Amino acid sequence: MFRDAISGLDRILNAEIPQGSVVLITGGEGTLKSGLAFGLASNYLAARGEHGLYATLEQTEESHMQNMKSLGLSKSNGMHIFDYWDMRREWKNREPDLIKTTGEVIDFYEDKHEKMTVLVLDSLNALFYLSDESTIRKDMYHFFSELRDRGLTSFLIKESSTCAEGRLSTTKPENFLADGVIELGAIERTEGVKRFIRITKMRSAKHSMEKHQLVVEEDGLHILGPIY
Amino acid sequence: MVRLRETSENIDESQEDEYKKIIDRTIKINKDIFILSSLLNKQMCGYDLIKEIFQDCDVFLSQGTVYPILYSLEEEGILQAEFSKGDMRSKRYSLTPKGRELAQKRLDDFAKAILHVSSLIRR
Repeated sequence: MFRDAISGLDRILNAEIPQGSVVLITGGEGTLKSGLAFGLASNYLAARGEHGLYATLEQTEESHMQNMKSLGLSKSNGMHIFDYWDMRREWKNREPDLIKTTGEVIDFYEDKHEKMTVLVLDSLNALFYLSDESTIRKDMYHFFSELRDRGLTSFLIKESSTCAEGRLSTTKPENFLADGVIELGAIERTEGVKRFIRITKMRSAKHSMEKHQLVVEEDGLHILGPIY
Repeated sequence: MVRLRETSENIDESQEDEYKKIIDRTIKINKDIFILSSLLNKQMCGYDLIKEIFQDCDVFLSQGTVYPILYSLEEEGILQAEFSKGDMRSKRYSLTPKGRELAQKRLDDFAKAILHVSSLIRR
C-alpha cells in the first residue's frame, strides 16, 4: 500500500490511493518532490513485487540515483529508470514530441513487464514546456486520461516556484484534472526552516488537510506531526 | 543490413505502397533485430542508429521506441556503452561478447523464420 510506503504517511492519508489515480506532487526547489515520489513508488513496488517506471526528463539516471542515495532511498528491483538525457542531447536540433515519446516509453515497459502498475514522471513542466499555450489544456487532459486508461497509478512532479513554473503557471489545468495533489514546501520558524507535506486533494480517499513535517533520516523520508 | 531502397527498385509502382507498408510493419515489430544487426560491426549512438535504419530501410523508428531498447539491452549485458573520445555528448553502444553471440543467433533465427514464412505462402 502507498500508505505504508513512506513512514508516517498514514498520519495524513486515511485510505489507500486508488489504483489508476493521477497524483500531482507540487512544490518549489529542494522540497523533496523527487525523493517523495521515488520513495513512494520504490517501496510500494518492493512490497508488492510489481514493476514501475521512473521517467526523468532533466537528469541522468546516475545523478538521480546519487540524489536518492543521499536521501537514504534505494531502488527496488521492480523500479525501472528511464532518463531522456541521451535522447534530448542527441536530438537537440530536432527534439521529438516528448508527450508522444513518453507514451512509447511506457508502452515498452508495459510490454516487457506484466505487472507494470506505477509511473513517476519528473517533471510535468519539462514534458509540457514545448506545448502550445492554446492546446495545453487539451493536451494535458488527453495525457492524464491515457494514464488512467492504462490503469497506472501515476505521480507527476510539478515544479511550482514562480520562476520555474513557466508555462504551467498561467493555466494550471493540471490541478483540476488530477485525482490528487500533494503539496510540498518549507516554512521558516525561529528554530529554523522546516519542510512540510500537505495533501490538498485526493479523490476517493479521506485525508488530512493540515501541513505535517517532512524530514530526511538515514533510512529515508519520514512524516512527523502537524506544524502550524 | 539489406538496403530496402536497392531491393525495391524491382517492385512495380502500384505495388510499392503495400510493399512498403509490409516492410514498415515487419521492421517496427522486429526493431530489436534491426538494432542488433546495425550494431554487429560498429559502435553507434541512438541518433546514428535511427538515421542508418531510415537511410537503409526507409523506415523511421521513433526515439521513444529505440532508446528504451538500448537501455534495456545494456542492462541485460548484451550491449555496452561508452562515450566517444573527446565527446561526452555521445554515448555509443556496441555488442558485448555475450551480446554478439546472442545477436548472431537471433539474426539467424529471424532470417530463417522469414524464409520459412515466405515458403508457406501459396502464390
